[in-house]
Amino acid sequence: MTASRPRILVIDDEPQIHRFLTPALDAAGYEPVRADTGAAGLSEIAKQPPDAVILDLGLPDMDGQDVLRSARAFYDGPLIILSARDRELEKIKALDNGADDYVEKPFGVGELLARLRVALRNRMVRDVGEPSVSAGDVEIDLVKRVVRKAGAPVRLSPREYDLLATLVEGRGRVITHRQLLTAVWGPANADDVQYLRVFMGHLRQKLEDDPASPRWLMTEPGVGYRFVGDV
Amino acid sequence: MTDRDLSRPDPDALLAEANKVGRGRLKVYLGMAPGVGKTSEMLTAAARRASEGAEVVVGLVETHGRSETAALLQGLDVLPRRVIEHRGRQLMEFDLDAALARRPQLLLVDEYAHSNAPGSRHPKRWQDVDELLSAGIDVWTTLNVQHLESLVDVVHRITGVLQRETVPDTALSSADEIELIDITPQELRDRLAQGKVYVPETASLAADRFFRAENLTALRELALRRAAETVDDQLVGVMRRQGLTGPWAAGERILVLIGADAMASSLVRNGRRISDMIGDAPWTVAHVERPSHPVLAPLAIDRRAEALRLAEQLGAATTILSGDDLVETVLDFARRQNVTQIVMGRPRPRALAARLRPSLPQALMEGSSGAALHVITDHGLAAADAPTRARLVLRRGWGGVGTAVLAVGAANGVASVVDQFSRGANLAMIFLVSVLVTGLGFGLWPALLAAALAAVTFNFFFLEPRLSMAIGNPADLFTFAVFFGVAVVTGGLAGRVRDQAAAAARRASAVTSLLVASRSLSAVANRQDAARTLAEQTAAAASGATVVLLPADGEVAVAAGAPSAPELDATAMTAARWAWERGEAAGAGTGTLPQIDWTFFPLQGLRARAGVAGVEAGRIQRGSEEERLLLALLGQGAVALERAELAAGAVEHETLRRSDQLRAALLNSISHDLRTPLSTVLGAATTLIDYGGSLARAVHDDLLLSIREEAERLNRYVGNLLDMTRLEGGGLKTRGEWTDVRDVIAGAIDRVARRAPDRRFTRDFPAELSAIMADPTLLEQAIVNILENAVAYSPAGEPIDVAAYEDRSNIVISIEDEGRGIPTAELERIFDKFRRLDAASDRGQGVGLGLSISKGFVEAMGGRIAAASPIHGDALTGFRGTRILISLPKQRATHPMLL
Repeated sequence: MTASRPRILVIDDEPQIHRFLTPALDAAGYEPVRADTGAAGLSEIAKQPPDAVILDLGLPDMDGQDVLRSARAFYDGPLIILSARDRELEKIKALDNGADDYVEKPFGVGELLARLRVALRNRMVRDVGEPSVSAGDVEIDLVKRVVRKAGAPVRLSPREYDLLATLVEGRGRVITHRQLLTAVWGPANADDVQYLRVFMGHLRQKLEDDPASPRWLMTEPGVGYRFVGDV
Repeated sequence: MTDRDLSRPDPDALLAEANKVGRGRLKVYLGMAPGVGKTSEMLTAAARRASEGAEVVVGLVETHGRSETAALLQGLDVLPRRVIEHRGRQLMEFDLDAALARRPQLLLVDEYAHSNAPGSRHPKRWQDVDELLSAGIDVWTTLNVQHLESLVDVVHRITGVLQRETVPDTALSSADEIELIDITPQELRDRLAQGKVYVPETASLAADRFFRAENLTALRELALRRAAETVDDQLVGVMRRQGLTGPWAAGERILVLIGADAMASSLVRNGRRISDMIGDAPWTVAHVERPSHPVLAPLAIDRRAEALRLAEQLGAATTILSGDDLVETVLDFARRQNVTQIVMGRPRPRALAARLRPSLPQALMEGSSGAALHVITDHGLAAADAPTRARLVLRRGWGGVGTAVLAVGAANGVASVVDQFSRGANLAMIFLVSVLVTGLGFGLWPALLAAALAAVTFNFFFLEPRLSMAIGNPADLFTFAVFFGVAVVTGGLAGRVRDQAAAAARRASAVTSLLVASRSLSAVANRQDAARTLAEQTAAAASGATVVLLPADGEVAVAAGAPSAPELDATAMTAARWAWERGEAAGAGTGTLPQIDWTFFPLQGLRARAGVAGVEAGRIQRGSEEERLLLALLGQGAVALERAELAAGAVEHETLRRSDQLRAALLNSISHDLRTPLSTVLGAATTLIDYGGSLARAVHDDLLLSIREEAERLNRYVGNLLDMTRLEGGGLKTRGEWTDVRDVIAGAIDRVARRAPDRRFTRDFPAELSAIMADPTLLEQAIVNILENAVAYSPAGEPIDVAAYEDRSNIVISIEDEGRGIPTAELERIFDKFRRLDAASDRGQGVGLGLSISKGFVEAMGGRIAAASPIHGDALTGFRGTRILISLPKQRATHPMLL
């Protein structure tokens, strides 16, 4: 971690949110930056790219999804969505538009900061290009395309491996059904969620200690899956 | 068959099969003549079925007093007959309703061709059977081949007996099973001799003739052939359903041309036989109408209609073609329909002049390519036409006869005057004029009469020798001939012109009525209007009473009528329901309940049946021009009804969609407005828990404060929602007490000021103000909501002005802000639920319930609320400000002196 504190941009029009989030971020060792509108947020990102962005979807001047799309055109850092809209479609759309994660209002500060930490760490890992990822006794070598559990190699079909690799590459993040299907099966199969269920079942059988209550390969109901590696 | 891919199952065949699902099965015991043992065979088989456990009921079996038959009935369940009174006689008839109510698996009904007693639901028993089959009951019945409609002519020729009781061929071919009861003619004659065949006493002589061996042989052949054909049909049906190719008439199509004469029906039957012979080929019966020819006499129209109806019964398609060139019209139709066989009657012997042109058969033969031509000779039937023609002349002639007499009388007068002054003038010219006038005015026959009268009187009074019938000069004969010549030419011409004009006028009036109807029908807004307009238009076209019934709750009910909505009795309603359910005409002039005073037609729209229209009986001749106009009108009416229904559906759908939209917006709004304060509470609380120790004191306190504020905000939202629910649910109880409005306003301002400490409120109250009966809690909440709205929508620095004053009967509260105002278009709606000027504002002005709650509360106390905007500014500086007025009634009006 560098000497300067990571800058976190919070884009939300609700003053009450800033009122507690600013001291909370500050206390957790971040440098909070406040933006009240989508336009102000975008110009802040452009001026001085923050280390992470927390974005509210309900903004007065423009739709949060549009802010997200515009930001993703020139900003590559972690981006967490804050939304009172608990509708699945909104979440999925945000993730498809390039958000790393989402937190539903109302939320505890602890949860938000934990997600923020995961997002920041994954970015760093990706920047370093770490070739091997571990989760408990599971080890995944993305260069050699080898997966081991408790030291013994695990046999995966090519599809299973591709699916696992996609999840691992985006570790910590929710990868939507559509993103997974497009990456592994191609755009033509983007709607066949049933495939995913079957292959995720196989992966859990092979990698999880207890496939019924997975620890590494997590389901985000109605949205997608998430790979959780070791912290 | 050129237009079908035969390797695939034929959709028509599958459809026919699908229609049969749920329908009862029909078995016909077919025999060549009475006495072959159909009934006993049927009863024996039925007893067998009953012993196997099937529920067999005898609907009706005629024993004709024969003990053998009666013995067979033993052990079978026999339905009691219905007694029908007819002209003082009691007729024992089959009880259709009892059979339908009983719903046995198998019902036996003897004598398929029987005609029911007048007053029954259907005139014919085969129609009863059809209804039974539709109800899903299996029926067995018996039939002698001579009763088949298409064989009536043939049987008549063979036996000399004309059958009155007939069944249409379709009624036999729709049978699922036919069992032929066949014995040799000799056997039958033996049975007859032993008295085993029932013959009515009165007809024993005729029976002897009927049961001659050669007759029986011919009838037997007919029965055998018909049974074989039906087996063929069923085989073909099976093959078509399974998509097999087979030996049915490939591409054969028959066209039967009929005139409007006595031969028409006979031609139709011939067509059916030819169609049968070549494998049940599709056939069309057509009549050609020539616009330039005189319109048909009523009798001819009846004949044509009867023949066309017969054709439909026998399974033909029917059409009326229109064209002046008979040959070209027929050939054109034949080419378009790929007709391969043309059936027509032999033309009547024609006038010499006409014989110079080729006859119709000749012309068709020359013009048609590849179609076979069947020319059927009549059997003296055309002779029946002669009296018709004579009557026609007379009916039209009375006016003409008078004119002829008068014209010739006048000619006599003029001629005698002229004769006085100039002897030797050509007086014949004067008589010629009288013939001409009569001919032009009244046509051929009056003209000929005038010519005859002219010739006689001219000869008698003016030709030498005068006052004598003797003809002095043979050249005078020539003059008379000229008279007749002129009569023929002018009378014929004028008659034709007049008929054409009449026909054209009639067509024009038909087109006009259709036009008028379609205009008024296209303007209707709803089903009720459509029904009324349709009833009026059809009443005009039918020149009688009409009624329109529309479906309601699975039934049909009278929706409109002209001249007024009539009361329909139970039988008429049954007929109307029949038309509605079956999609067939019912009532007078049809095969169903013909005894009632109405004819009901189904209103068939493009997608479904839209209703039923009834026309007073006797107004419309079936098959007439009027009926065609009526049917066209009904078609238009059905479409208009359907359109009205669709439009109503669209409105309903739109309403539903809007309320869905509203619900979604409401949920979104509530979820946002409830969650935002919750987020702050939860977020601030967790911040305090997680980082409480490391926060500055001021930050610590601010977080606690924010928790309190947001909890209060949440409480207000919940309060608003509850208020709204109470208002909507009618659970709001106002509590009246004597209230000083100034106190209430002060309380409301205090509450709002606590939350908006920077805001300045100005108060403008009079020193004296009447107290009113009101609920102070509700009133305070109403004012608070308005004040909060004003705070939210006006700039922070601007004051909010609150005033109260009174007039004679009201206390008025006025609340003004300096905000940007409300667009005029929005003014009416600001008190609506979930109305917010900023659609997507998240800044927490509430769910848009505040003002609507204010309105609800004020109105619950008997007051009124209104908004005005803008109230300040001009076009240059911009308009500003909103004023909301609450007016509450006083208990008693104040005397003006006290104000």
